[in-house]
Amino acid sequence: MKCSQKGFIMALLLHAMTGWSHTQAATLTLQVTSASGTGIEDAVVYLMPGKPPGRPVQTPTARIDQINKEFVPLVSVVQTGTRISFPNKDNIRHHVYSFSAAKKFEIKLYADTPSKPILFDTAGYVVMGCNIHDHMIAHLLVVDTPYFAKTDANGMLRIADVPPGDYSLIAWYYMRPDRNALVMPLSLKADMTQAISIRTRSSD
Amino acid sequence: MKPARFKTLQSRIFVFFFLLILATQLGSILITSTLGFSIVNKTLGEELETGKRVFIRLFDQNTAFLTQGARILASDYGFREAVSSNDAETIASALDNHGGRIKADLMLFVGLDGRVVSGSTTARQAIDASQLAWLSPREPQRNATALIERINGRLYQLITVPVTAPLPIGAIVAGFRIDAGLAKDIGKITNTDVSYVSKETDTGWAVHASTLSGAPLEALSQALDTDRITTDAITDVSTGSGVYLSLRTRLPSPGGQESVAVLQKSLDRSLAPFRDLRDKLLMLGALGLLVSGLSSLAIARSVTRPIKALAEFAQKIAQGDYSGKPVITGQNEIADLANAFDHMSTEIASREAHILDLAYRDTLTGLPNRAMFHDRLQQAIHTARRLGKPLTIMLIGLDRFKYVNDSLGHHIGDLLLKEVARRLQDALRRGADTVARLGGDEFAVLLPTDDMGSAHKVARSLLDALEKSMTLDDQIVDVRGSIGIASAPLHGEDITTLLRCADVAMHQAKRNSSGYAEYDARFDHNTLARLSLMSELREAVEHDHLTLFYQPKVDLKDSEAHSAEALVRWIHPERGFIPPNDFIPFAEQTGYIRAITTWVLNEGVRQCAEWARMGLEVNISINISARDLMNADLPDYFTGLLKQHGCDAQRICLEITESAILDDPGHALENLQRLDAIGCRLSIDDYGTGYSSLAYLKRLPVSELKIDRSFVQNMASDPNDVVIVRSTIDLAHNLGLHVVAEGVENEAILSQLCLLGCDQAQGYLFSRPVSAADFHAWVQAKTWKEQLRLARQA
Repeated sequence: MKCSQKGFIMALLLHAMTGWSHTQAATLTLQVTSASGTGIEDAVVYLMPGKPPGRPVQTPTARIDQINKEFVPLVSVVQTGTRISFPNKDNIRHHVYSFSAAKKFEIKLYADTPSKPILFDTAGYVVMGCNIHDHMIAHLLVVDTPYFAKTDANGMLRIADVPPGDYSLIAWYYMRPDRNALVMPLSLKADMTQAISIRTRSSD
Repeated sequence: MKPARFKTLQSRIFVFFFLLILATQLGSILITSTLGFSIVNKTLGEELETGKRVFIRLFDQNTAFLTQGARILASDYGFREAVSSNDAETIASALDNHGGRIKADLMLFVGLDGRVVSGSTTARQAIDASQLAWLSPREPQRNATALIERINGRLYQLITVPVTAPLPIGAIVAGFRIDAGLAKDIGKITNTDVSYVSKETDTGWAVHASTLSGAPLEALSQALDTDRITTDAITDVSTGSGVYLSLRTRLPSPGGQESVAVLQKSLDRSLAPFRDLRDKLLMLGALGLLVSGLSSLAIARSVTRPIKALAEFAQKIAQGDYSGKPVITGQNEIADLANAFDHMSTEIASREAHILDLAYRDTLTGLPNRAMFHDRLQQAIHTARRLGKPLTIMLIGLDRFKYVNDSLGHHIGDLLLKEVARRLQDALRRGADTVARLGGDEFAVLLPTDDMGSAHKVARSLLDALEKSMTLDDQIVDVRGSIGIASAPLHGEDITTLLRCADVAMHQAKRNSSGYAEYDARFDHNTLARLSLMSELREAVEHDHLTLFYQPKVDLKDSEAHSAEALVRWIHPERGFIPPNDFIPFAEQTGYIRAITTWVLNEGVRQCAEWARMGLEVNISINISARDLMNADLPDYFTGLLKQHGCDAQRICLEITESAILDDPGHALENLQRLDAIGCRLSIDDYGTGYSSLAYLKRLPVSELKIDRSFVQNMASDPNDVVIVRSTIDLAHNLGLHVVAEGVENEAILSQLCLLGCDQAQGYLFSRPVSAADFHAWVQAKTWKEQLRLARQA
């Protein structure tokens, strides 16, 4: 809680610093559907500004739990430089690892919350597994932007506090992790609501 | 021609048993072989099917095992870490290292794009990049796959398992070489020969690993190339070293390739025990055949040897040798037969001895008979000829034996002959001399070493021995003998000649009452000239060389009547006149008398008829022999003659001797009655020489009696004969018979006959037999009238 408060304050500060030239921040509401119109859960959408955004002053943190031999959440999205902790809520040990190029790491057999969160300082896709439980998989997209969100069960997401401007809207789906599901330019002036459809499978 | 050796009992027995046993042996061997083959074939097929099931199970298990290993390897953290390094060398070393753990022959890591990322050292050695082209289209599957594939000419089982990190990042392909070692292991478990073969679409089959080698392997390749081995069916594959039953099973293969495991079992190897059994049976069979052959030979021998011995024994018996005894031991049927043979031989010997005795001995007197005498004489002639010494034989005839026999009976006759035999035997003391009875009252003596001089002495002693009176059944009988002597080589050198000479001499002795006589050729009428008599006589009858002479029968009471006896004469064209005694007895003996009689009857009847036509009435008497009297055709023939010549039957008188009638009275009587019925007269000729009684003659249809000349001739000197003649005439007259006297040679006899009341007389006093012409002349001369007148006056 403390952390999030800090983050919120940082965001506010950041917003104040960058938002000077802008009158007010916009909110993007997006529905992600498949070609058939069904809302897709756990799809990630992020907005890349034309000029790379600076790193956040305070290192953001995130958390991926292991509950009932599942990674929770299944899909995560964080800004580059985020530290993620992997608290073990089960009464058995897990061995979390990643061979992904964006971040290779392993936390050998542990219980409870490991002492050090893992820093993800390279943008890219990181897939994590448990060396003991083959079926445990967690997908993590590390992005170089603070404007990102993932869809809820209805395929809905909201990206708030986005300064108006021209962005690249990029959609990514964990079932097709090796490419972007959608890249489109987006000129955000005010709050807007948009719907996009993506391909969900690598074979699509 | 059939081979003779199969005709004998021995060879038949042998061949039969030999063939029987041969057939049995062959049959059992054949059945064993056939049955063995079919059992083996079936069993082998079943084993092959079982082998196939085992193989498939084994293959699946092995695949599962290898897959499991590959999976464990693929999930190894370190391995995944190494693979994640994306460094080919690192990956290669990891493949080397981890492949070693599961003993894979080659290891590959294939990326998600299907491209080979890296390979183990062995894999890189085995495969060059170009040969991995086939791997390119491969998409790593979530599940493991296992395929049998040909790489660089070698066969591998390739197990593909995905590698996750934790999402799939590729696959490892673990290759296990299918080599002879594997084939050997699998072969051991399935208990078959195992071969792994493969082909690509455009190539032929190649054998990659096999438990086979050499010829069977080559045969398998050929069979595969000619598609002889199908998937499901069991197939025979002939190889240089026997037949293999084959069954194949398909192995999972990638497209464009086909791999197969062929399971095979050697028929020959499985048949080996049966072949062994068959060989042993053959050996046993051959041995059995040998033993049974030898024993059947032995049995056949044991059966035929005694039979041969018996056959030889029988041959000996046939040759008249009864001395042997068949040597058969044992108690069997053959021995019984041998005993029967032996018994038979003894019986035959004794019977033969008896028969010989009967054949060679006269049963009445116990003396050797004619046959034995012939044998001994033959032998003696042979010996004498060889030694150049003379020998002598005698024939002894008993005088008046017939009289004794007829008057005193056959019993006394037999006793007489026995006594004579005894005396003759006693008189001959020397062992070499033989006395034999030839038949009737005829005896013969063989003096094998005597010349004529000593023979005379023996003859005298024999006559002396017979001289003494004999008392036979209380009757005193006197007997005398006449002996004829012939000597070899003086009179002849063969039996026939000697016996004939002795016979001639004996008759000479009889005629002369001289006791004994030596052969003298002068008295021998049976000379060689007589041998041709028969043919000459036949010629005489056919060419009318015979003629009839007529001797008048003068009627002593009615001097006007004319009668004559027709007597046959033979005027031989070369030898002239032949007396009737020289051929009539001969003709009677041979039976030719019938032809002569036929001729005489014809001529007599013809002459009678001729004279009758001339006005000369003559009653003609014709002689009929005993044989003629037996001829049933005679009456008919006679009737025919009478008719032919137109002669009155009353004019013909047929003269029959007493003895002719007595030979066969029944037959004679019938013929006489038929002749009598014709109308001719019948006369008894030579009456008094036989022994017939007048009472018997009375029953015959005769009308005339001719008193034998022997009684008539002696009438003048012997008063007894006068008595006989007188009583005969009286008796004949009493029976109503006409009486004729023969042999009237002088006037004294004629006057006596006149006194005795005889009816007719015939003799030289009146006329000899003369020709027909002379008889005619004699009748006309009438000289007999004067003779009669004088006789009556005397």
